[in-house]
Amino acid sequence: MNRTKRRGLNPTILFVIMLGIGLPLSFSRSVILNAIIMLFTVLYLCWERVRLRTALLVLLIAFPLAFGSWASFMFFGTGDRLHAAWIYGTRVYAYLLLAMILTMTHSVQEILLSLHHHLHLSNTFVYGLLGSFNMMKNLRDQYRRIKYSAMLRDAPYHFWQAHFYLRLIITALNWSNDLAIAMTSQGFTEGAERTELSVDPLPAWQWGLAGLLIVLYCGAAFLWRPW
Amino acid sequence: MQTVDHNQHHFSLRDVIFLAIIAIFFGLIYQGWSYIYYLLAATPLKPFANDLTLGVWVMAGPLAGVLLKRPGVSTIGEVLASAVEMLLFSSWGAADLLSGFVQGIGSDLGFATTGYRNWSKLGLFWSTLWSTIITFIWDWFKSGYSKYSLAMNCSLFVIRFISIGFFAGILVYWIARLVRRSGLMKL
Repeated sequence: MNRTKRRGLNPTILFVIMLGIGLPLSFSRSVILNAIIMLFTVLYLCWERVRLRTALLVLLIAFPLAFGSWASFMFFGTGDRLHAAWIYGTRVYAYLLLAMILTMTHSVQEILLSLHHHLHLSNTFVYGLLGSFNMMKNLRDQYRRIKYSAMLRDAPYHFWQAHFYLRLIITALNWSNDLAIAMTSQGFTEGAERTELSVDPLPAWQWGLAGLLIVLYCGAAFLWRPW
Repeated sequence: MQTVDHNQHHFSLRDVIFLAIIAIFFGLIYQGWSYIYYLLAATPLKPFANDLTLGVWVMAGPLAGVLLKRPGVSTIGEVLASAVEMLLFSSWGAADLLSGFVQGIGSDLGFATTGYRNWSKLGLFWSTLWSTIITFIWDWFKSGYSKYSLAMNCSLFVIRFISIGFFAGILVYWIARLVRRSGLMKL
């Protein structure tokens, strides 16, 4: 059995926190709470010692989106423009950082297997997704090949052309068929019990922490309602 | 030993992989033209950039619907696409999954309006209309559209309907027609 010792919270708990706070965040109207979310998520990322360069790059790439949100309310907003501009500008980063505490601290495999263990995500989805993600490089190459082959015929594809999608669908159909056959021939049985090769410890206190954070956030966002 | 679940109401391993591969391809398409979107989105015109391009983001749901023709498939297709987006490509974070779910529900509601019997023009028309309405309500709260003027909201709604109508309606219909003619899938 493969048991990994980890420093931070379980991926399932991070997933629950991400959606549990992300959903009410969409309806709350507070710059201060957005800033608190940003502060705590950044502290968590530092504590988890994520790669600083990657984290900064991700945050930098999102800057035009945050700035665009901020600027659109300054130009087109009605009522308290400044407040609206800061709410929706900082909200972009709050959403992003909420996802980063999950995606930057755990691999896709850890996340999917954890969701299977604790939230009963079916094995068909877990292994189907893992199989597809592992083909990422091949898919990227195939995507390029499809585009290049069209360019060779002097008829480049554009994303508004149905023929382009047909080529992608043909690839998706063939590859999904091949991969599904390969997996079933290796013993994968849909809907059947599997021997679990990994243990994913999730202490009860982490569920309590997720619940507490979500309740605290909702209480603050909809009862306290700071600026 | 049974290895493949033939129950049409469940997602088979092949369906999941098929949708995931489609989602990855969509991710690559978004990546390719996101530079144009970023240029526009970095200005006060961001809401217009959002609504003008939303159709492409919403396509995965109805495409999954017309190809696999099952209740709920649009929602699952769209959520899968948004999960792939969040994990591999995007700078939207948690909003990806939430928006993906909302977009998928909107598209599914359209097919549900026809009792999940019409997966062609009529089903797609309702799908685009419901997607526009549901995603607009979502952005009313999530993206603060309530803070824009009525005139701006009206123009954003029209732009959004045109975008979703073309990409998630007309283009998806054309794609389904090509797939049917090619004989690749029984549609």
